[in-house]
Amino acid sequence: MTDVDIHHLGAAYALDALDERERMAFEAHYPSCDVCRADVSDFRSALAQLAGASTAAPSTSVRAAVMAEIAQTRQLSPMLPDSISDLAERRRRQQRTYGGALAMAAAVVLAFVTGAMVTGGDEAPAYATDLEFVLAHGDARMVTLGSTGATGSSADGSVKVAWSDEGERMVLLANGLPGAPDGQAYELWLIGADGSVPLRMLDDASEGSIRSSIGIGTGVGIDSAPRAWGITLEPSGGSDAPTGDILYLTDV
Amino acid sequence: MGVLKFARTGRLTSLGRADDRGSGGTDSLGDQLRQAGRGDQAAFGRLYDELSPLVHGVVLKVVRDPAQSDEVTQEVFVELWRLAARYDSSKGSVKSWAATVAHRRAIDRVRSEQASRERNLRDVSGLMPAHDAVADEVETTFEQARVRRALDELTSLQREAVELAYFGGHTYREVAQLLGVAEGTVKTRIRDGMIRLRDELGASND
Repeated sequence: MTDVDIHHLGAAYALDALDERERMAFEAHYPSCDVCRADVSDFRSALAQLAGASTAAPSTSVRAAVMAEIAQTRQLSPMLPDSISDLAERRRRQQRTYGGALAMAAAVVLAFVTGAMVTGGDEAPAYATDLEFVLAHGDARMVTLGSTGATGSSADGSVKVAWSDEGERMVLLANGLPGAPDGQAYELWLIGADGSVPLRMLDDASEGSIRSSIGIGTGVGIDSAPRAWGITLEPSGGSDAPTGDILYLTDV
Repeated sequence: MGVLKFARTGRLTSLGRADDRGSGGTDSLGDQLRQAGRGDQAAFGRLYDELSPLVHGVVLKVVRDPAQSDEVTQEVFVELWRLAARYDSSKGSVKSWAATVAHRRAIDRVRSEQASRERNLRDVSGLMPAHDAVADEVETTFEQARVRRALDELTSLQREAVELAYFGGHTYREVAQLLGVAEGTVKTRIRDGMIRLRDELGASND
């Protein structure tokens, strides 16, 4: 990926002809790139016309099967940006690869860019760049942190983490987090062989979304590779070791 | 070039190709999709009737097995139902959206079964002509002719790469392997081919 001009991947992306890693990187990139967004839209339109030249009727039983199934299938709400719902949708279908289903309600993504927090629902270019960077590594992985239900109904929303040990960076994407109680804030932990390492306070961003890009690995003074990621509520100044219940957790 | 462009535009207008962006009458695809997005199953049924030949055509081309294709087509429509409220007309037409979802689902199916690796180049080549003989294929003669003319504007190498990717369900790396050429070469052929196809087909008008 590193030697590829990402702006030239729109055609292969529209053809579903990118491999997994490139596709993830391109999906992180193109929603915030006017040129690539137009490319994807135009190429898809051309392909729909190509497909339209060889239409075929499914078996007549399919219609009834579809109508029966949609009658008991919940529809997704319209609020979320397409780029992210696309991404979440693809991930949901690829649980095998990523080790967990995404909560579909979840989709606004969050990330801190080194040192500077980015808030709001828009794709932040710096966030996208860091996510591309992480996903460009061969050892890149992405997992969903599941709610542990530790605080009952309040542990809502979705948290995803993408990271590369080689790249020594992780990007956190989350949305729909309930607001932290007064005097408390979410804290992200890297759980390694030697215990929990506090990584970053996750200040409440707008509507519970946080975007965070964080250095990990020996280069930034973290000795052990992640075995799990967890999020707790801590006093707003942060803690050296987790004191609150783990609200979101995943095994690596 | 200007004449060609005018001819295309004129044809689009005079033949009244479906403007499914929802600006017009009550039965445009966009309107039906909006209704479906609010839970209107009857509207979705009409959408099914309009879109199923397109969706199934994509699925059948990629998956090939008729029984499996029926399954995938069903999955596609259930997914379109789930996602109906998220359709964004600024990103493309309803047909384009449906074809995108259909292709992804079909690709997921063949890749998950590793079918794409088992099929050989000769096998896929048999698919390439836009007029292959699938028994229940609905011929839309005009569209076929228009698309065939557009495909004729691609070099044979570009066309081969695009069709192996789109209908063969291969990644560009796999296409490179199949053709025995460098990945960068395939990527360039795919990109140049898609640009030409877009220019010939008038991407904004579907």
